[in-house]
Amino acid sequence: MAVFCLAVGLLLSGMVGPASQSKNFKGAPETFSARAQVATEAARGDVYLTIKVDKYTPDKEREAVVKALQSGGSGAFVEALRKAPVAGQIEIGKQTFAIRWARDVSDDKGRVITLVTDKPVYFVGAGVPGAKPREGYDVAVVQLKMDPAGIGEGTMAAAARVKPGEPTGVQVDDYASEPVKLLSVTRKIQ
Amino acid sequence: MFRALTVSLMCVAAFVAVASAQAYKNTAPESFRANGQVTDTPGGVAASMTIQIDKYTPDDQHKTIVDALKAGDNAAFLDVLRKSPVVGALKMGQRSIAIRWARQEPQQGGNRRIAVMTESPIFFFGAGAADAKPTAGYDVGVLEFTIDSVGMGKGSMAAAARVKPGGPTGIQIDDYSGKRVTLTTVTRNQS
Repeated sequence: MAVFCLAVGLLLSGMVGPASQSKNFKGAPETFSARAQVATEAARGDVYLTIKVDKYTPDKEREAVVKALQSGGSGAFVEALRKAPVAGQIEIGKQTFAIRWARDVSDDKGRVITLVTDKPVYFVGAGVPGAKPREGYDVAVVQLKMDPAGIGEGTMAAAARVKPGEPTGVQVDDYASEPVKLLSVTRKIQ
Repeated sequence: MFRALTVSLMCVAAFVAVASAQAYKNTAPESFRANGQVTDTPGGVAASMTIQIDKYTPDDQHKTIVDALKAGDNAAFLDVLRKSPVVGALKMGQRSIAIRWARQEPQQGGNRRIAVMTESPIFFFGAGAADAKPTAGYDVGVLEFTIDSVGMGKGSMAAAARVKPGGPTGIQIDDYSGKRVTLTTVTRNQS
């Protein structure tokens, strides 16, 4: 969990970069399919989802959202995020969730793609009687790690609170005790 | 979809109400291992659980609970149920939920139909959705399954249920999710 937060925080904050597009891939628009899995000692859930990225967020818009977070905290971040143009969507069954932040960073293994939706996707664990309150978990954060062949894996904080924090300046708290695993992530051939 | 569960549960209740005594000898204490499954268009959930039945609810206690339910006061029904002796437990992972009502009905060929009610809901399926409906009023969990003479069976579960008077059988069970959990396999554990 801490690793997930740190990695996403680095990407959200822009400390990892530059935001260059990999030469091995086509950029947006692009579509990914994935199987999301949550597993506990007693139960396991699997859901298929489709992620469509229409465009990656330009630096100027990215900086505006990060600035809002650093100056005004979680509330300002969510407000700025929801004012940002739609960059794509996540589809789960008949439900769709608008992506307002999409970032693509290349590394030596391929690409790391970070996406933030403008509302939570699912409160994992909220079905247990006496579950904790949902307030403040206003977005979802997805991270995909894709290899040059377009195959990868990822994680999703399906209901997340993004707030200022050390060491990257951005901290992602997940409503769930563990981030959702994204398995068999594949980039669809256009 | 839930009508089948409702009707069959009422068969259990009706049988007991009509019969002067249970013809089938109770085998409690006994426990069962069950695998539950819910599937939908985008995916599915599977869970395993253990149903421990220390004893089956005797007729007089059963009548008290049913009378409270049929009186139509949900709070009074819950009060009676939760003051009834614990007759077992449903265990999922680290969680254990007390069973306050357990009945069994003999079937042809040595089969048994078993129904249990927990004192609180087991899980609110679908409650994690951002626009999920309120969970208030779904105060118990209800399971029903059939076990053959070998100890194998299947059934269904209303993981968060509202039990109230109504419907053709006199008692209606509404499930929070609107989609019952299928108990695909139920196995009686070796004592």
